[in-house]
Parts: sequence; C-alpha cells; structure tokens
Amino acid sequence: MPLYEVLLQQFANGLILGSFYALVALGYSMVYGVIKLLNFAHGDLYMVGAFAGFGALSLLSGWLGGGWGGIVPAMLFSMLAVGVLGVIIDRVAYRPLREAPKLSVLITALAVSMLLENVALAFTGGQYTAFTTSLGFAGINFGLVHVTWTQMVLVGTSVVLMVVLELFVSGTRHGKAMRAIAIDQDACRLMGIDVDRTIALTFLIGSALAAAAGVLAGVYYGSINFFMGFLIGLKAFTAAVIGGIGSIPGAMMGGILLGLLEAFGTQIPGIGSEWKDVFVFAFLILFLVFRPTGLLGRPEVERM
Amino acid sequence: MKTARMLAAVGLFALTLAGASAARAADVTIGAQVPTSGSEAPYGIDMLNAIRMAAGEINAKGGVLGQKISIIPGDSACDPQAAVNAASKLVSQSVTGVVGGYCSGATLPTLKVYGDAHVPFVITASNSTELIGANPGNAFMINSTGFDQVKTAVNLFKARGIKTLAIVNEGDAYSANLAQLTRTAWEKLGKKVADYEVVNKGQQDFSPVVTRIRERNPDAVFWTAYYADGALLIKQLRQGGYAGMIALGDGNNSPKLFELAGAAAEGVFCFSNPTANFLPAARTFIENYQKQFHQPPGPYSALSYDGMMLMAHAITVAGSTDRMKIIAALKKTDNFPGIAGPISFTPQNTLARSNFVVLLGKGGQWTLYTGPGAPGAK
Repeated sequence: MPLYEVLLQQFANGLILGSFYALVALGYSMVYGVIKLLNFAHGDLYMVGAFAGFGALSLLSGWLGGGWGGIVPAMLFSMLAVGVLGVIIDRVAYRPLREAPKLSVLITALAVSMLLENVALAFTGGQYTAFTTSLGFAGINFGLVHVTWTQMVLVGTSVVLMVVLELFVSGTRHGKAMRAIAIDQDACRLMGIDVDRTIALTFLIGSALAAAAGVLAGVYYGSINFFMGFLIGLKAFTAAVIGGIGSIPGAMMGGILLGLLEAFGTQIPGIGSEWKDVFVFAFLILFLVFRPTGLLGRPEVERM
Repeated sequence: MKTARMLAAVGLFALTLAGASAARAADVTIGAQVPTSGSEAPYGIDMLNAIRMAAGEINAKGGVLGQKISIIPGDSACDPQAAVNAASKLVSQSVTGVVGGYCSGATLPTLKVYGDAHVPFVITASNSTELIGANPGNAFMINSTGFDQVKTAVNLFKARGIKTLAIVNEGDAYSANLAQLTRTAWEKLGKKVADYEVVNKGQQDFSPVVTRIRERNPDAVFWTAYYADGALLIKQLRQGGYAGMIALGDGNNSPKLFELAGAAAEGVFCFSNPTANFLPAARTFIENYQKQFHQPPGPYSALSYDGMMLMAHAITVAGSTDRMKIIAALKKTDNFPGIAGPISFTPQNTLARSNFVVLLGKGGQWTLYTGPGAPGAK
C-alpha cells in the first residue's frame, strides 16, 4: 500500500474507533457536568447494553432477520432497558449519597462497576459470546482503502445521536434544567426545578447512549464479553477529559481525537504498536499540562 | 474487629486441621491445582475431571500402595495470587503430590511454594519457558515447552515458503515469551520479521494494526496470544483484505474460535499440544470421559489424565509416600506410556520430545494438518 492510502485508511480506522469512544464519553461527560460524579460504572453499562442488544436480537431475528431490520429494534430496546437500569443505579446507589463527600460517591461508582461486571461474569460463565449478524463486508473503495456500509452506518448513527443530544441539552426545557443544575443545585430547587428527576433523566440518556455504543460494538466486532466495558470505559474517560469534561461537543471531539491518535500512533515510523499507548498517554499528559481544562472545558475553581 | 478477625483465623485453622486429618485417614491425597473459577474455568474444570477420572480408575484397580487416592482441588483462578494461596493451602493439607498447572503466569509463583515443601508437582498444561529456570527441581513438565512450539512454527513457515513474518502478541508473560522466541529463531535463520506488534487484551478494534500489517504485507501473520482476541484479529485481517497465511499459538485451540471468527477462520493454522481427539491411544479415554461427564474432553484433559497416572506410577515405584523418593522416581521416568505419548524427562525436568501438532481450520473446526512442514512429515 502506498503511504497516502495507509494514512487515509488509518484516518478511517481512527474515525470509527473514535466514534465509539465519543458515544461512551458523552455519558461520562453529561453525568460529570450535572452532578460532578465520575461514573465509573458507565463502561459497564456499555457492556450490559451489548448483552441486552444481543438478547433482543436473538429473539427478534426470527421475524426481522439478522440485518439492520432486526438490529435497529434490538438497539432501541437495549437503549431503553439500560437507560432504565442507569436510573435505577442512580436511585439506589447515588441519590442517597447526594450530600455525602464526593469520594464516597466515587467509591460507590467503582462498586457498581464491579457489581455489574461480576453479575455478567456469573451469567455468562466468563465465556465470549458471538454476536452474529448478517451484515456483509460490502462498501465503497477509495483506491485500496475499503470502507464498509456497516462502518458508515456506525459513524452516521453516532453522529446523529450526538447531534440530537446536543440539540436536546441546548434547546429544550429539560436541557436547560440540566445546565442549571450543573451551576447551582440549591438555587434550582428554590426555582421549582425537580432536581432529582432531572438527574434521573441525565442518567437515562447517558446510559442509553452507552447501550447504543455497546450494541453497535457487538454488531461491528461480532464478539461480546463481561469485561468489554473496562478498557473502553478508561478510554472514554480519557476522551471526556481531553474534550473538557462536562462539555458535550468536547466529549465528541475528545473521542474522535483519541481514536485518531491511537490509529496514527500505530503508524509512527521506527516504533511499533508496543509504544502506541505510551505515545497516546504521553500526549494526554502534555496536553493537560498546557490546557488543564481540555479542549472545550471551562476553567473551574473547585475540582475533585 | 480484632476479636472477630482472630475468631475467623482460629476457625479457618480448625477447618484446615479437620480437612487434613479427614483426608489423612487412609488415603493418598493428591492436590489438583487448576483454575475452577474465572475466565479460564472451563479448561480448569476439564482438567480436574480428567484427573479425577484417572484417580477413579486407579482406585478401581486397588489404588496405590494399597491405599485409595483422593483428590483435593486447589483453585488457581489463572491468577498468580490466587494460585499461591491455593498452593499454600494444599501444602498445609500435606498432599503427597500435586498435578495440574494451567496459565504459566499463575503456575510460576507456585513452584517456590511446592519447592520449599519438597512436594512433587507434575505440570500438565503450563509450558512457558520461564518455568524451566524457576523450577527448584521438584516440578516436572509433561507438556512441551515454548521452545518446541517455536521449532514447530518455524518448520511450518519454512516448508510453506514464508519469507517475511509479522508477529502479534498481547504483552503478557505467555504471549510475549512466545513472540520473542519466534522472532529470535526466525531472525537467526536470516529471515525478516516485517512487523512486530503488541496489542491490549480485550481491545476489540485491531484495525490500526491490520492496516500496518497490510502496509508491510508479510507472507504470514503469527498471533501468539489467546483465541478470544485472536478470533477478532483474524476476522479484521481478512475484512481488511489481508490474504496471506495466518498462524496461531497454542492458546487458540478452541472450537469457540470458529464461532467468533466465522468464515475468516477457514485455512488458518494453529500449533497445539495433542488434544484427545487427535490421539489414537486416547479412544477409550474419550469414550469414558464422555460417559462420565456428558461432554467431550477439552484441550488439556488428556495431558492431565497422563499427569495423574504418572504421579501414581511414581508413588508405586518409590514404594512409599515419601515426597523425596517420589521426586527421585519421577526424575527416572523412562518412556512412561501416556495416552498423549511416551513420557521421559530432560535434565531440566521438561518433556524429552516435542508433542506439538499443527491444526488447520477446515469446515468450522480444527483438523490435523499433515501437509508439508507438519511435525513428522518430510
């Protein structure tokens, strides 16, 4: 392959990888933006989403087939189910700790993450599950660069979900309430905003997006397991920080940037992929040293 | 708090004593160190089944030294810390010997635990070359080591006219060890390693690595880590348009690979220790195993069965349950007839011959490859 085609292919790879990171990073960023909680269970909701989607697709593919006709309803089901799960987690594990020190909630989030992982482990026996769909490799060729329809639909779906979310948060009454809670919870209560319900809504949307990413990942990679949320959770967190945690467009940009960094990091001449993560995270440190608030984050006096 | 902890400790101690004395009544106790929990549990349970089956057959014929063999499982969970805990517990229960050992990373730290207590240890699956140097002398490896796997791999590559090679591993003790040994052996032949990649376990997306491999365009890609991620790599290599040869290390011999990789696994090679279904001498073993456990025996069951049989043989030869005498007897093992082939040991206590075979993915399952470059073929 000539170099420019290699680079073009790596760009496509990075974009696809990045859109997964971005979708998961959105939920991280939203929750942090509203209640200043690093929800470490978020990556595991991605995993639960993949399994919920897999279960739904197994039931639905009888009538609707294993193509997009079956995948879309399965994905919607998974988003709803995991969205509700997110709300339940907030109600049971986080809401009672709303006034507690931030560290207690953080540890609770870690506990929820372990809980979800180990429940999934118990259910699946640690086995890898094949996520079979009938999507082919067909697509468009740009020279030697091959991009499948599936990949295009994936990136497209991510973009649509992100745009809808941004419109929701910036344009609707509920979105305005979320932004207001982020600034001052007590003032919001005084102004008659139902704070707990708005936070629940934040969890609903954030978790549903993670589930969407989980189903898309299952469809795309064809294999799901109980541990799949761990690594992407870390990466998405990184993406959210790069983008400026709390900012929705920032999370998108951070995710895409991280995906591109990883793809091109593999390509640096002279060093192999052994050094990819060194490169990516060294960049992250430097970036944060010079721009601690991330790409689009606002400077803040109080931080955890 | 303190009292509660002390009470718990006393309770545990009492339990251990009770367990040990109950087992000591008349039996020869053998520890089975295998992962019975965690991601590797399916393999570990399989090995435990085979060990129990062997003990059952020995007991049906009167046991050893006129005593019955009883098996005490120790869960290594494929985790170094859990394995050391399990090993210490087995030692405290005064087992006569230990059979098992899966996941080299978990087996490695247990060598010292058994070594200090002079417990004879027959290792039936773990085969990292790191175990050889760390062996205090009481452990015996009846699975061929990484050196043999590299030899098998290099022979196959040479016979199939491979000139440039890409090696991909996951940076863990097992897969990095195999990858480095292969790189050294391949470069010693004056051939080229076109690409050497390390990926993260569970990373799912290998497309950047796939693009790099396509850029370097090696004749063959060698994946040295386990099947779950291997399946995804194979799929993405083929999806990305790589058409060359793909070979996999011995962590990939699983039917699950075909489920996860689908059609992409067709024509893929895999180096493996002999699994029961490719061993002519194991026919009765397969039938009995199927009858007893209602499933086909897994990858390391034949070796585990052999390991238990070898241990019993050594106890008989030693004529006592004296651990030092058993170790001496194991050391002198000369062509012990295992179902996976004859067992003798090198001065380093490793299997004296290579038991590696080459498998080929065909029709959604592994088949024995006998073409050019296969072990034993000319």
